[in-house]
Amino acid sequence: MNSKIFGVGLTALALVGCSASEDTNHEAQQKIVAEVSMPAVGVADGAAVDATTGISLPAGFSATIFADEVGQVRHIVAAPNGWVYGALRVSMRGNGVVALRDTDGDGVADQREYFGQSIQGSGIGVNNGYLYFSTDTAIMRWPLPESGAPTDEPTVIAEGFVSETQHASKNFTFDGEGNMYVNVGAPSNACMTEMRKKGSPGMRPCPILEKYAGVWRFDADTPGQDQMADGHRYATGIRNALALDWNTHADALYLAQHGRDQLASFFPEMFTNEQSAELPSEEFHRLDDGYDVGWPYSYYDHMKDERMVMPEYGGDGQTVSSEGEKPLFGFPGHWAPNGMMFLEGDALPAGYRKGAFIAFHGSWNRAPMPQQGYRVVYLPLNDDGAVAGDWVTFANGFAGPEPVMSPRNAVHRPMGLTEGPDGAIYISSLMSGGRVWKVTYEGE
Amino acid sequence: MKVNKFYLAALAGAVFSTSVSAQDPPTGRSLYEENCAVCHQYDGGGVPFMQPELFSSKRANAPKGGVIDIILFGSAAEGTGQSGFSNEMPGFDYLTNREIALIATYVRTNFENNGGAVIADDVQPRRK
Repeated sequence: MNSKIFGVGLTALALVGCSASEDTNHEAQQKIVAEVSMPAVGVADGAAVDATTGISLPAGFSATIFADEVGQVRHIVAAPNGWVYGALRVSMRGNGVVALRDTDGDGVADQREYFGQSIQGSGIGVNNGYLYFSTDTAIMRWPLPESGAPTDEPTVIAEGFVSETQHASKNFTFDGEGNMYVNVGAPSNACMTEMRKKGSPGMRPCPILEKYAGVWRFDADTPGQDQMADGHRYATGIRNALALDWNTHADALYLAQHGRDQLASFFPEMFTNEQSAELPSEEFHRLDDGYDVGWPYSYYDHMKDERMVMPEYGGDGQTVSSEGEKPLFGFPGHWAPNGMMFLEGDALPAGYRKGAFIAFHGSWNRAPMPQQGYRVVYLPLNDDGAVAGDWVTFANGFAGPEPVMSPRNAVHRPMGLTEGPDGAIYISSLMSGGRVWKVTYEGE
Repeated sequence: MKVNKFYLAALAGAVFSTSVSAQDPPTGRSLYEENCAVCHQYDGGGVPFMQPELFSSKRANAPKGGVIDIILFGSAAEGTGQSGFSNEMPGFDYLTNREIALIATYVRTNFENNGGAVIADDVQPRRK
């Protein structure tokens, strides 16, 4: 991580040198220097949380509890009509979507509607004038209403996904050119012959890769597409990527993957509890068509900066793998990246505009070490979408008193992220009845 | 990293110091921590929506066959996907009758449960 910090410094110095030697484009160069030399400043670990909202934020930012007791809200989207929509993991009074609006501008939603009869799920988004929603087996949409809840029935756009319980969320994103990308998680830990059974070897080829463990691309507007008949497997080797978003600055698809569980409990002769808490990395990738992340044959070790052979496939914690792609970055193990967002507006300081916001839901697989990761982080990227500095914490304190030794003690767990039309950032948590925060930049 | 490693080490030491060492004969607690705690957690608290908590567990306080079956066969004992939790539990039929009895007893007499003890002879007849 230190090398990444040096990298930013060198880039800034190089640009300063460049701007001093060339008079043309001087203004543009100065702007770039200013942006690069003012990196995002996060909030320190252990910083006091706000008494009302329960979270801590970097200097200059403030939050409100936009809505409380909304239900088990997963992903959220702030629509151009001024409403914030949230997908509910478990329906509330028979409805799987919540719609929220703040009409008087005090940062608290004063209108709330529920809709989506007999559906529930995790994915939600807005594209080209439509509101999209996903259950675990289909993606559907309504014309985005002028206000609140749609009144008509949704149209199914993609379907045919197999019903599962593990890693079943079909979260999605759009590229702005008419395509929709859907995460199809693997109903598995490491493609073991016997599910999560100690000593059970990995299957090769892993049959799960056929219908799962990848990102499938669909036409965003064609109704009734079947996953296997009409969808295109855009990328594979992805265990589960709830954090999936299109980076409009670099014009590419990005994800953060949940790494596999239980290295120490399955392979105590290879991994200590401390190593198993840190490994494998939660991997941050940029995906092009045909990309293979590497699951289940390999995992990423951010301390070695190598892909390693998965122990179910003969690995021993030391053997480097040639299968899969190295991520752009590796976060500590089991933090559970559940939401990702790239900003399109410019309401935030320059250092915060082009990188990835990642909502980590927090770990359960670090015991007996303390659980970690219940926070939203910001990873700086440059115009080309390459990592341009060390990550910082953007919002923290969700879990309550630390250390969190057992996940049940976490009061809140960050999940969904969305940017409002005015540049505000919304963060959701499905715990403790379900809450949405609104975060705004007020200036220093 | 963002975490104070000395603090972590101290905390881990505190956790481990209350566990039995590898040389001691296995107990219900040591077997639970080796086989079960990764998912159900050391405090039996489970993980919301993923793995059930074991506190005041209906199953742990019911006739002993229910706990034995879940350990032997995993969530398949009650029908895959029926639990309301997203993860499936594997079977631990490779453990000995005595080990399963020790784990079952530990779960049935801890985490605010009062189901009572299980012995190895209770386990054998439930194997398939």
